[in-house]
Amino acid sequence: MKRARAGSVAAILFFMFAAIGCGGSSGGGGQGGELTVFAAASLTDAFGGLGETFEEENSGAEVSFNFTSSSTLATQITQGAPADVFASADEAQMENVANENLVAGEPEVFVENREVVVVPVENPAGIQEFGDLSQPGVRLVLALDEVPAAEYALEILGNAAEEPEYGPEFEEAVLGNIVSREEDVRAAVNRVVIGDADATFGYASDVTPDIRDEVEVVEIPEDLQVVPTYSIATLEESEESELARAWVDLVLSREGQRVLEEWGFEPVSQ
Amino acid sequence: MGDVLSSGSAVAALGLIAGFISIPIVSLLIWTVDSGAWAAMRSPVALEALSLSIRTTAVTMCIAILVGTPAAYVLARFEFPGKKLVDSLVDIPAVLPPSAAGIALLLAFGRFGLIGQYLEVFGATVSFTTVAVIMAELFVASHFYVRQAAIGFGGVDRDVEAAALVDGARRSTAFMKITVPLAFPALIAGAMMAWARALGEFGATIIFAGNIQGVTQTMPLAIYTEFQRNLDAAVALSLLVLGFAFTVIFTVRYLTRKATEYRE
Repeated sequence: MKRARAGSVAAILFFMFAAIGCGGSSGGGGQGGELTVFAAASLTDAFGGLGETFEEENSGAEVSFNFTSSSTLATQITQGAPADVFASADEAQMENVANENLVAGEPEVFVENREVVVVPVENPAGIQEFGDLSQPGVRLVLALDEVPAAEYALEILGNAAEEPEYGPEFEEAVLGNIVSREEDVRAAVNRVVIGDADATFGYASDVTPDIRDEVEVVEIPEDLQVVPTYSIATLEESEESELARAWVDLVLSREGQRVLEEWGFEPVSQ
Repeated sequence: MGDVLSSGSAVAALGLIAGFISIPIVSLLIWTVDSGAWAAMRSPVALEALSLSIRTTAVTMCIAILVGTPAAYVLARFEFPGKKLVDSLVDIPAVLPPSAAGIALLLAFGRFGLIGQYLEVFGATVSFTTVAVIMAELFVASHFYVRQAAIGFGGVDRDVEAAALVDGARRSTAFMKITVPLAFPALIAGAMMAWARALGEFGATIIFAGNIQGVTQTMPLAIYTEFQRNLDAAVALSLLVLGFAFTVIFTVRYLTRKATEYRE
């Protein structure tokens, strides 16, 4: 008898659980408008901060973000994901979206960044300078192909291959050291933070205060560098085009540029 | 009248489920035909991922069956202190999200993990290797085999086993000749479920083993990776893994049916 009662209690609990699901989620009504910003993973902190400013300035408006690699975002947008603004870490992914006629107006460059090598503070592979990346046994991780941070890194390695100091063997050895390709630049940097990888290519801005004590930055020689260039655009399919424009204006404003600079980006002179 | 109505709505419910499952699968097929993405199935990414998936799930099943069969028998037949705890422990991977399992594996066997740091001393690194893929698959999938096998063993009549022992058979012989054949359908069903789960493993693999072509990039990871740059290829790969899984499951079902017919 006792067991039967326990059984019915379990059944009731289970069906209550299911009923919560069947009840469905009543969508939160947006009276002040909901803005959806698709932004490169490296912008996570800076845009997160700007989101609060934006909601204060536009009362009633709510900003939600989708932060992942610009290449994934571009795919999602071209597949019809509902986004109002796209901020890409390179111009190639912005072009992919623009080529489908999904960009409203012209994309605008809003910040630049700097590609660096990030190693754990314990530095188990002993990487002191860029040239050490080719040493055998270095566990290097890189973001996936087409992810801007990885594309810039490959470009830099291509530049190195043409320099007599490094040569094509260097490029080949570094590429041979790659042990994993990560979803986006933040995921790659995180592999270094937890110490599972010896090094990765990331942006100077990815070394946020949160992880500053856990990693070290190895600079890439000036003559090999490329300039990561971020561009932003409002999207054609947006149903909140005014809010979308307001977001882009905020990012380009003196205040927006100041916040981005605080987070390690290099503002572009307007 | 009420009966007709209620059985009608039950049939409609079944139709709803069948449609819900078949429409996405048909969509995969239509997209592949339309975009002519067949060639992507022969790309190095696809072939290496398929080969890796076949190899890792085969090793996973080998280990799951070799270790899981006796373990399931003990769970089904013997009482011992702490049995309830072990019993629940076996179920944890089934309810734990695979991504959480991946993090847990990383914290245990990763480079700075509880166990991983000692392995590192001996120069053995697990993360970012094919071994890590197999561990991830074992972690999330072996439960399905062990649970199903334990139920199967539990259903075998003890008297039949006891009779064999009385006739002088050794315990291990009785197990192999009597218990396992009688529980065979359950063992096969459990193995199939575990295999399917291992083949689909994504979250724990990408977190614990990483993602590199030919080493840790199994089919689900390859599909995800291709999705970031080439939707057509991702669709073709999805269709490929679907076809492969179907072939394996139907072949095993067919062989099992033949085997039972033969025995009878």
